[in-house]
Amino acid sequence: MDWVAVALTEDVPPGVVIPSRIEDTDLAIWCTPSGRYHAWSDRCPHRGMRLSHGFVRGETLACIYHGWQYNETGSCDYIPAHPKLTPPDTICVPTYTCAEEGGVIWVSLTDTDRPLPALGGRTPVRSLPVNMSAADLAAHFGATTFTTIAVVSDVDVLLAVQPCTGGTCMVHALAAAEADRSSVSHWLENLRATLEGVPA
Amino acid sequence: MNAAIDNHWYPVAMITGIDAPRETLLLGKKITLGREDGTCWVLDASGAELPTVERFGHLWTSPGQPNRDLFTIPEADNPGRRLVDVGSVKVKCSPLRAVENFLDIAHFPFVHTDILGAEPHTEVDRYDVKIREEVDEVWATKVKFYQPQAAKSAAGGITTEYMYRVPAPTCSVLYKTCPPRPGEWDIITLFVQPLTDEWCEVWPWMALYDDDSTMSEMVSFQQLIFMQDRSILENQIPRKLPLDPGMEVPTQADMTSVAYRRWLKKIGYTYGAQLVAA
Repeated sequence: MDWVAVALTEDVPPGVVIPSRIEDTDLAIWCTPSGRYHAWSDRCPHRGMRLSHGFVRGETLACIYHGWQYNETGSCDYIPAHPKLTPPDTICVPTYTCAEEGGVIWVSLTDTDRPLPALGGRTPVRSLPVNMSAADLAAHFGATTFTTIAVVSDVDVLLAVQPCTGGTCMVHALAAAEADRSSVSHWLENLRATLEGVPA
Repeated sequence: MNAAIDNHWYPVAMITGIDAPRETLLLGKKITLGREDGTCWVLDASGAELPTVERFGHLWTSPGQPNRDLFTIPEADNPGRRLVDVGSVKVKCSPLRAVENFLDIAHFPFVHTDILGAEPHTEVDRYDVKIREEVDEVWATKVKFYQPQAAKSAAGGITTEYMYRVPAPTCSVLYKTCPPRPGEWDIITLFVQPLTDEWCEVWPWMALYDDDSTMSEMVSFQQLIFMQDRSILENQIPRKLPLDPGMEVPTQADMTSVAYRRWLKKIGYTYGAQLVAA
């Protein structure tokens, strides 16, 4: 599987965890205090609680339900109910390949050799949910893949499209540093209105 | 029709809250309940009358033929106790998840922070759990935990002792050290109405020794606790309770939950349960 943009780094500062998704796979995206990003299955193996509701403590992600702490490899390091216990290696959270590039956090649900998308020096402007599937959105622009879609019209924009549940997607828009951010943002809103068939 | 599920008593209303007839759901089916001349009644969707019991401030009914009376809590009748109808909270989770959470103490420092628990007091010591075959109930005893604010009546942190009892698949009774009377137990119950297998209405009820707090203070305290629990219960995946080992990983602190799941499986109570690891 190819890389998918799952969040902008500005939305996941160090010490923060947020929920995200790729189609039906729920993800917890978090950033360690020292700035490394991780994308994990959004479910604590203990009692099924969403880890995106948890908290970052040191270089670990802790579940909000019972405080179980998982280190950066996804293995459980600490169970507060049993402080003297070394948790068995079998207690771990499924992890996914995750990388940061150009202010965007990219995830691949399977191991990948593909290079990260070339962004041409563009940086994120904003993310916007669109009520249309990622594939249909790509087709609208005549693109065959939705990882990134270059759009050159009255604006120069790169769209990184994240497929979500129920035939919807999240569009992360990137533009050249010198571009007028508010006009790019406005263009994106108009695009959504056009795609969803509602007046802007 | 599944006798293992239908032949139990279920809470469907707080008696003082019944005025005009109203509809609700029980095990996914519509029922209607009301009160006439001081007596409560319940009808199923076809208009047939269902059996009723009025106990613990609540109205109970059954869609089947219960082969035994609704459980009792003799200690609740002791003079001097104040009986507290807490009200109800609807929660988008399996009724069994709601009961299991009530049986869990290890979450106190993280979910009820500085009230029922606080770091670094997170350790859960070994306690006793058994299925009492003669009464067919799950019991956990000698459960001890440090609590900063064990009840509205507590003046400061104490190590509280708990006993948990599961007398019916969707009900639990907690006996807990009473802060102003350390030799006595406060009684806090969780009565869960299964609206569907992934949606429930929770009716907590309490019988406390507390001569100082107002009724609304005691209700507010328990409602705050339960709102904190709801933020967990609506975010567990899956919404149903997995009964087969493998999908979730228990530890020693979860002995009550392990016994509860085992007991549900033994009595064939599968409503709100997930039986095969997804």
